[in-house]
Amino acid sequence: MLLYLIWLLPLFGGVLLWALGPQLRSWAGPIGSALIGVAFAATVMQWNDATAPGGSHAVLVSWLPGWSFGLQLDRLSLIWSLIITGVGFLIHVYSIGYMDGDRAFARFFAYMNFFVFAMMTLVLSDNLVGLLVGWGLVGLASYFLIGFWFERPSAVAAARKAFVMNVVGDVGIMFAIFYVVAKVGSIGYADVFAHFQAAFTPHELFLVCLGLFIGCAAKSAQIPLHTWLPDAMEGPTPVSALIHAATMVTAGVYLVARFAPLWSASADARELVGAIGALTALAGAVLGCAQWDIKRILAYSTMSQIGYMIMGVGIGAYDAGVFHFFTHAFFKAQLFLGSGIVIHALANEQDVRRMGGLRTRLPFAFVAMLVGVLAISGVPGLSGFFSKDAVVYGALESGHPWLYAVGVVTAGITAYYMFRLLFVTFFGAYRGDVDPSDLGIRHPELAGIPSTSPAAAASSGRHPEEEEPHHHAPSWLMSVPVGILIVPTIAIGWLDAGPNGPWKQFFAGFFPRASEAAAGAPISETISTALVFVVVAIGFAIAYLRYAAPAALREAVARLRRETIRMPAVLVNAYYFDAAFEALLVRPARALGAWFYRSVDPHVIDAGVREAAWTSQWLGHLFRSFETGLVRAYALSIAFGVVCVVAYYAFAFAGGAR
Amino acid sequence: MSVAPENYVLLSAVLFFIGVVGVIARRNPLIMLMSIELLFNAANLALVTYARAWANNAGHVFAFLVITVAAAEAAIGLAIVAVTFRRMPFVDIDEVSALKG
Repeated sequence: MLLYLIWLLPLFGGVLLWALGPQLRSWAGPIGSALIGVAFAATVMQWNDATAPGGSHAVLVSWLPGWSFGLQLDRLSLIWSLIITGVGFLIHVYSIGYMDGDRAFARFFAYMNFFVFAMMTLVLSDNLVGLLVGWGLVGLASYFLIGFWFERPSAVAAARKAFVMNVVGDVGIMFAIFYVVAKVGSIGYADVFAHFQAAFTPHELFLVCLGLFIGCAAKSAQIPLHTWLPDAMEGPTPVSALIHAATMVTAGVYLVARFAPLWSASADARELVGAIGALTALAGAVLGCAQWDIKRILAYSTMSQIGYMIMGVGIGAYDAGVFHFFTHAFFKAQLFLGSGIVIHALANEQDVRRMGGLRTRLPFAFVAMLVGVLAISGVPGLSGFFSKDAVVYGALESGHPWLYAVGVVTAGITAYYMFRLLFVTFFGAYRGDVDPSDLGIRHPELAGIPSTSPAAAASSGRHPEEEEPHHHAPSWLMSVPVGILIVPTIAIGWLDAGPNGPWKQFFAGFFPRASEAAAGAPISETISTALVFVVVAIGFAIAYLRYAAPAALREAVARLRRETIRMPAVLVNAYYFDAAFEALLVRPARALGAWFYRSVDPHVIDAGVREAAWTSQWLGHLFRSFETGLVRAYALSIAFGVVCVVAYYAFAFAGGAR
Repeated sequence: MSVAPENYVLLSAVLFFIGVVGVIARRNPLIMLMSIELLFNAANLALVTYARAWANNAGHVFAFLVITVAAAEAAIGLAIVAVTFRRMPFVDIDEVSALKG
């Protein structure tokens, strides 16, 4: 019963707030948050059922043999449900403060509740089709929320891009489902896991994994389907925190972990997923070093961290990958919410070059961001340290030294760009009143600097009362969730401390081991940890020297200007992925469309219609000439016809009689 | 005393021919309707003749059907003639050509 509750409460909230939004006004926020809070409480109360062997299970509809739809809460979906409702609840509360005064306050919470419902559908489903439905619905919710400020063309374009790229992934999953149904004859996870060994050859199994992974790559922003995630930062910051950092984008990790039996049986799929994850981790981290928009830095960092998770679950270290998701949900939500406080306080300024010195003006945001940065960089003792270490060392344990090396290097780059973000934003002197061109910002309008004219501020739909930047402290609704998040960000990592920590016990025996034995690591985990720590310290040191050392702070403006101008074009353009898609897919598609418009449409389709019309017109002209209007002529033609028929039968039967 | 079927068939053919000529050659709609009645009855005569000659009652039954249809046709045809005559006070069927294509 509680299972239905945690599934349907968010849907109820979404429909309620959507239908009654104008009446509820400012009550929409508290109601939406409370419903998610109740769902979280219900999830916690399910703990014992879910951790029992097999988890708790409820059948919704049994349609045909093999087509049974139901809900299932086992250890894996429990972890996800706790994050979705728990962190989701905190972000909902935060949003009450952040979205205060927005014209579409109720619509925002309706979408957020709808998103939670979609995500719960995804993780609670006990079958592939329910998973795909949730998969599509979270994409839809993401589309709604990225394009929440639909007055801005850039937001609409970003929403459309995200939706289209996600649908590419949906198609991949769809083909995997077709294949599974054709070979196994069932959509239920349990049936698939019980029978797939007999049903698939290794090659076919790889194809199924590939289809599923295309879905993962699109949803979890893995190369090459990652380009929508940075653009998705057009949405409100709480959306970025909940959907594009903590929950939805980690659905790919859930999918691989959920289908761990399949991956365990297919070494090729493991290699592919591990390599893509490592590549994404590295590429995202490098791009994070080249961004100036505070949310885009965090977006690339999200992409990079999900790369870690995907690498973890890809190489068979499922509990490590899931643990990185678990800790990442806390510290990345905290980083986003902290940056939201900054953005809110600076009246929607997002360019870190125009920040600086906020440590004294926004001390709470500074502490929150500092803890988050320490955690994501993997400073020992904080949550990110344990989970990242587990993933990176897992790569070595499973015999992937190259993935291990990439993971270690990426950890250093992560430390560099996260401390760069922290130093540029919070250290030195405030640069908001410096002329943007002195900072190397050439086109203020294009660089995302909001116009300060009242008309533009009003038309942008966000906080019209804030026309001038003023550094006000965040409301308690915004600080309390961030304050609560600090606790798990610091402490949650200890769940996986030691070789036999609570986390490992929780997932003991849940995930299948990879079919071949682990290769065994050449160095012990302690040495590996020390190595990672050294690399992280190097990253931190470079960031400190470049952005926070006294000499660097004195000439900060000139320095940022120089760095902006000298930024390599390949990084500014994000490896030209967008340009490549434009050249390889969009332009050919447009050219094809133009060709169809110019040739096929007028000369084949229209011509066909025209020919049909002309032919029938011509036939009409022919036949109307028979209609003389003279009754006796009609009678004559009837008589002639009768004579013809009689003559025919007379001759035919005369011949037959002989 | 019975007459040979050939005579009936011959009579039927003559009646039918008169009817056809009447329909095609005359312009008065009333005459044309009467000619159509001749056609029907010529056909009826042939049907009954063959029915008797081959001792098969289907021909009789069919003749009754034809009589029914003929009655309906006469009613509709006369109604059309009456309406047409009310609108156009002449009795030449060739003048009634509003349905010319």
